[in-house]
Amino acid sequence: MSARVSGKKTFSTRLIQLFSLSITFGVLYGVTRLTPELESHLGTVAAVGFLLLAGTLMSELLETIGLPHLSGYLLAGIIGGPHVLHLVDHRTVEELSPVNTLALSLIALAGGAELRVSTLRSVARGLAWATLLQSTMVLVCVAGVFMVVAPYLPFARHLALKPQLGVALLWGVLAVSRSPSACMGILSQTRAKGPVATFSLAFIMLSDVVVVILLALMMMLARPLISASGGISIEDFSILGHEILSSIAVGVTLGLGLAIYLRLVGRQLLLVLLAIGFGMSDTFTYIGVDSLLAFLAAGFVVTNLSDQGPKLLHSIEQTGSVVFVVFFATAGAHLDIPLLEQLWPVAVALCASRALFTVVAGRISSRVAEDAPILRRWGWSSLVSQAGLALGLSVVIERAFPSFGAGFRSLAIAAVAINEMIGPILFKFALDRAGETDRHAPEVRPSLVPDVDPSSGM
Amino acid sequence: MNAITFLLGLLGLAYVGSILVGGRAIRGFGLASGAEYLVLGFVLGPQLLSVVGRSLVESFQPVVMVGVSWLGLVLGVSYLQVAEREIPLTRVVLGIVLSAAVSAVVSLTVFFGATYFSALPRLEILALASGAGLVCSETTRHSVRWIVERYGAKGPLADLAADTARASALFAALGLSVLNAWLPGGALPGFSVIARVLVSLALGSVLGLTAALLLGREFRRDESWGILLGTSLLGTGAAARLNLSPLSATFALGLTLAAVSRHRIDIKAMVIPTEQPVILPVVLLAGAYVNVKLPPVMLALVIAALVAKLSARALCGTLLSALSPPARGGGVELGISMLSSGALGLAVALAFCVRHPGQVSDTVLLLAALGVLLGEGLGPSALRRALTRAGEIKVEPSHGSGSTASLEQDNLT
Repeated sequence: MSARVSGKKTFSTRLIQLFSLSITFGVLYGVTRLTPELESHLGTVAAVGFLLLAGTLMSELLETIGLPHLSGYLLAGIIGGPHVLHLVDHRTVEELSPVNTLALSLIALAGGAELRVSTLRSVARGLAWATLLQSTMVLVCVAGVFMVVAPYLPFARHLALKPQLGVALLWGVLAVSRSPSACMGILSQTRAKGPVATFSLAFIMLSDVVVVILLALMMMLARPLISASGGISIEDFSILGHEILSSIAVGVTLGLGLAIYLRLVGRQLLLVLLAIGFGMSDTFTYIGVDSLLAFLAAGFVVTNLSDQGPKLLHSIEQTGSVVFVVFFATAGAHLDIPLLEQLWPVAVALCASRALFTVVAGRISSRVAEDAPILRRWGWSSLVSQAGLALGLSVVIERAFPSFGAGFRSLAIAAVAINEMIGPILFKFALDRAGETDRHAPEVRPSLVPDVDPSSGM
Repeated sequence: MNAITFLLGLLGLAYVGSILVGGRAIRGFGLASGAEYLVLGFVLGPQLLSVVGRSLVESFQPVVMVGVSWLGLVLGVSYLQVAEREIPLTRVVLGIVLSAAVSAVVSLTVFFGATYFSALPRLEILALASGAGLVCSETTRHSVRWIVERYGAKGPLADLAADTARASALFAALGLSVLNAWLPGGALPGFSVIARVLVSLALGSVLGLTAALLLGREFRRDESWGILLGTSLLGTGAAARLNLSPLSATFALGLTLAAVSRHRIDIKAMVIPTEQPVILPVVLLAGAYVNVKLPPVMLALVIAALVAKLSARALCGTLLSALSPPARGGGVELGISMLSSGALGLAVALAFCVRHPGQVSDTVLLLAALGVLLGEGLGPSALRRALTRAGEIKVEPSHGSGSTASLEQDNLT
């Protein structure tokens, strides 16, 4: 999520960027070939530097053919990652998980801070219909497609009809999960402003909550279908209810604290955000709070209960300009290319059907909600991307259903890889076509919330 | 204490550091070298309270290396200038010569002491002597700045002290690259020591040139952070993987940027405020790394090295005041004032500990830590007396109100 100014770059600038990219790859390539064995954690430092530089440069170069920066970050990670040039190995990718934690907390905080009550109110009708249809229609239809392709899946082909239906429902939940990070990344780069941008952001942030509830519901339904000894337990919902409520409560408290800090002190926000990203995420996990939801609530409180939202967004933007490049490049390095090669026919079928039903559900919900024509045409475009949230759900399912969990997760990784690469391109294309991309390239990315002087009080 | 709590503690310390940089009202307070944080690290560390355990300290090795390397970058970027005033070449040479002389005296003392009184193998003795020489070679520029800001000093002696202190960084940075290249266990077995030194410096220079090219004609602050961080982290990690000196590589990177980039002033303005937030956690970690449970002979060598450093500095001061017009009247006290060492000496010792862990590097780190405390005790007061005698200082502390223009500007940028 770069805060860079994307003014016109000359041919010589592009040549310099290409040269610098080759230097970046060349330095790490040379070093890794000279020292193939990594004996310390210091390789992680080089990997962060490489991913940051290569991601930034690759995104600049891909910009020339209209691709979003996010695709550049991912591509840099894929090429430098363990499956292509092996400049960044598996262990290093795992060691970069704190960067992911930080990035996700910043994304959720920024996402919440972008949501104004007035904005939500303006798209409430469309949002409600879209949530209903995207969550039910896409879930059921993709589950149906899964049943059709199940004979081609090693982990599902031997299952009887009832267990297969249970697994299909779980896949359906996975299909309705979206990517807040990809959405924020594209909005940040394009500085888009308009109905599609507003709707996408609001829908995706709210869908996080919906997906968590849906997962609990489907796991409750799938358990008796998959295992004869399994039964429906209401206790799951009680736990989930507690988790959601406590997450919101903690998030509101954090948001109020943050708003007071921004109002009274308002300095060294980089360090404060780092402390919140690392420290609070860890604390939230420890006390069993959903950190994504808590940070979302915190950002929402800062924007809606104080006038410190723009200041917070500006700080996240500055911090994120470095963190998000590493985050997405690491995600690229994490992509399991050999697995994708192995499962691509089924994964492509599932992804294509998911995209198709998402478009259809989007068109129907827009028509029913009488959305603006531009939203009817492009409202679905941000919903194709998938990333960390979907992978996180697959891990939960793998743990809950060990009998088929590993195979399920592998397929999820392959499908997410496809959606992760295609989704951002589609969303940027849609924003460009909808005319919402800001082509004037202002110094600082405007927020979706109304402009407020960052220096003003609460 | 777990890693996250410790990390939050370090971030808190960085926060304090950033306030010390940003808050004009409290500038000039605290100790010049940051020795209080060194002591705090030692007290919290495994040697005393064990609030921060050994394994936890060791798990923060990458953070240490990144901090040390960033310090190298800051020193490199700001090496050629004090604010907008370029340091004359003669002063640069003088600073390097003084550092080399002190380093040689300390190294020889340790070398002969260890040869006659310890059972260390020859290679370890050479490593110990070289490491000891390097950590004693630096004069921290913060000590000079602290006095200048606190007492409003202004004049040729203050400028000379500031220039030579800044120039002394080059010897430590280059010396560390030689030491790292010479130590066994390098990743480039077919390369000679000189070739390895050149590789570490070339790595930094190439990345510095790349950064300068990418920063291009228009300076964009947000974009520049990514480029500076990316190149410095890549340089740090690549040098560390090759068992070369990351600090030297990033110093070369910073120096190259300062030499070739048209945005050197902007870059300096960006990175200098980050120095203090980085130094304090590094100094605290250095304190936690310090191991005092060493054999008596090693402790005796540390004391001998400190005495040698003190004598060499006193001699240098005497010679300098006799030979250099701006230093006239400084006398022994000018030399004693150059005893002040700080983050660079500790950074060199920490880098040595990472590269060559064991009793020898523990001794070098202890020497660096005690050198900081000794310098803190003697250096600033000696400089104040020398400047007063030279008529460049007011009697009452000014709390930063009447600083030398160039140094004041330097601190702001």
